[in-house]
Amino acid sequence: MTDQPNAPAGAQTVWDLPLRLFHWIAVSAVAVSLVTGYLLGDHWLFLHVAAGGVLGGLLAFRLAWGVIGSRYSRFATFPLRPSGVRRQIGHLMRGRSDLHTGHNPVGAWMIVALLAGLGLLVATGLVVWGGQEHQGPLSAVIGYKLGHGVKEVHEVLAALLLTAVGIHVAGVVVETVVFRHPVVKAMVHGRKPVPGSGETARTVGLTHTVVGLGLMALAVGAWLYWFYLPRPAVAPVRTSQAYTRDCGDCHWAFHPSLRTAGTWRTMMAGLADHYGEDASLAPDRRDQVTAYLVAHAAETADTEASHEIGRRETASGRITDTRYWQRRHRQLSDQDFARPDVGSKMACNACHRDADTGRFDDDMIQPPKGVPA
Amino acid sequence: MKTPFLTGLVLAALAFQPAARAASLLDGYADAARAADAGFAGFSAGRGRALFAATPGTGKPDTPSCTTCHTADPRAAGRTRAGKAIAPMALSVSPDRYADPAKVEKWFRRNCNSVLGRACTAREKGDFIRFMATQ
Repeated sequence: MTDQPNAPAGAQTVWDLPLRLFHWIAVSAVAVSLVTGYLLGDHWLFLHVAAGGVLGGLLAFRLAWGVIGSRYSRFATFPLRPSGVRRQIGHLMRGRSDLHTGHNPVGAWMIVALLAGLGLLVATGLVVWGGQEHQGPLSAVIGYKLGHGVKEVHEVLAALLLTAVGIHVAGVVVETVVFRHPVVKAMVHGRKPVPGSGETARTVGLTHTVVGLGLMALAVGAWLYWFYLPRPAVAPVRTSQAYTRDCGDCHWAFHPSLRTAGTWRTMMAGLADHYGEDASLAPDRRDQVTAYLVAHAAETADTEASHEIGRRETASGRITDTRYWQRRHRQLSDQDFARPDVGSKMACNACHRDADTGRFDDDMIQPPKGVPA
Repeated sequence: MKTPFLTGLVLAALAFQPAARAASLLDGYADAARAADAGFAGFSAGRGRALFAATPGTGKPDTPSCTTCHTADPRAAGRTRAGKAIAPMALSVSPDRYADPAKVEKWFRRNCNSVLGRACTAREKGDFIRFMATQ
């Protein structure tokens, strides 16, 4: 994969090895993020985020490499002038495409668009991950509402990126099939036939390979280190023992952040007829539990569950009557809930391994075998 | 009075602590039952069995009987309406079942009201535990 001393006559190494590696790792990471983002459920979020993490590091490398890389990797050599773009489009309209040693003008603009799009996707992804899931580098500084709002932006950008990727691939197919320019092979082994015969100077050296690979490893490593650095979890209190003792005999003791203070007060005042049963407590215990629930009610938390379920009051007081709960569990049948290892719709902790923390992270969903996630 | 059974219970009480506490709980209920009815002549496992299996129709519609949640077999695990497992009621299977008086009282208060629509008498509670001690 490195520079060939005996390259075929008229061919020249234009893409250095680090650039080619960048390209193909980025292709894989983009593929993973598109598949996990568009096709797979939320419990694949960890993989989506990992792909975004790799992309972030790769982009940092690419920006540096655009300044200090080998000749055709440098942004300064990108033929971005409008006159060149107009000329190339004019040629294409007449069914002609000149082979360029580096990027052609339209291709260069596509690289700019792809890099910018990916950068924005990584940035907005960090905001969504930090705000909506309270994970990652921005977990402590972005609120749920902001994260949730930026998710819309992230989705629009993803659609734009998907379109750009489609155009990029279409352009490559046209170049390869219609005009017989071996651009895909060039991105594999780095060599491209040199148009004309004047330019034969070597633009890629061993230094590029060594420095570039080191820089890429450093950039991706440092980025991922920052990305996954353990951070204090932004979470409401863990379910208390005293509360579990009094409420957890009949049903999983719901995390206090899943209902509002008002709902908890109403519920605790009506324990003598609690969903068809007498669930009364001695007055001192009842007051203790009520104080605990009110102190840690939905209004005090910033998790996705506290916003989408906890703050949504229902006439029955039931969590399962919230629209969000129903939407997120629509793939489950009554039989799934009735299984002995689940019990009922009240057994949040049967699948949500972090239910007692009130976080309900997507990647903590682990249904028993046979239950769809 | 079923003397051989009481002897057995005392022996069991010596054998393990929780059962001993269940026995002292029974003593308390016996005192209360005597106070309520001078003619009280001891607890009956048979009456306890009948209470456990009864469907009085005076409680809440979702809990017509003890057996709704505990199943008809005291040695089997039950299930709450919310789907959580309930340890078997029989003392032989759940030896520390009736060891904590506050807990026993909490559940009699809740469940008698749910099934019977009223509080249980001391005699009913004693009969119930006596029945569970024979299971």
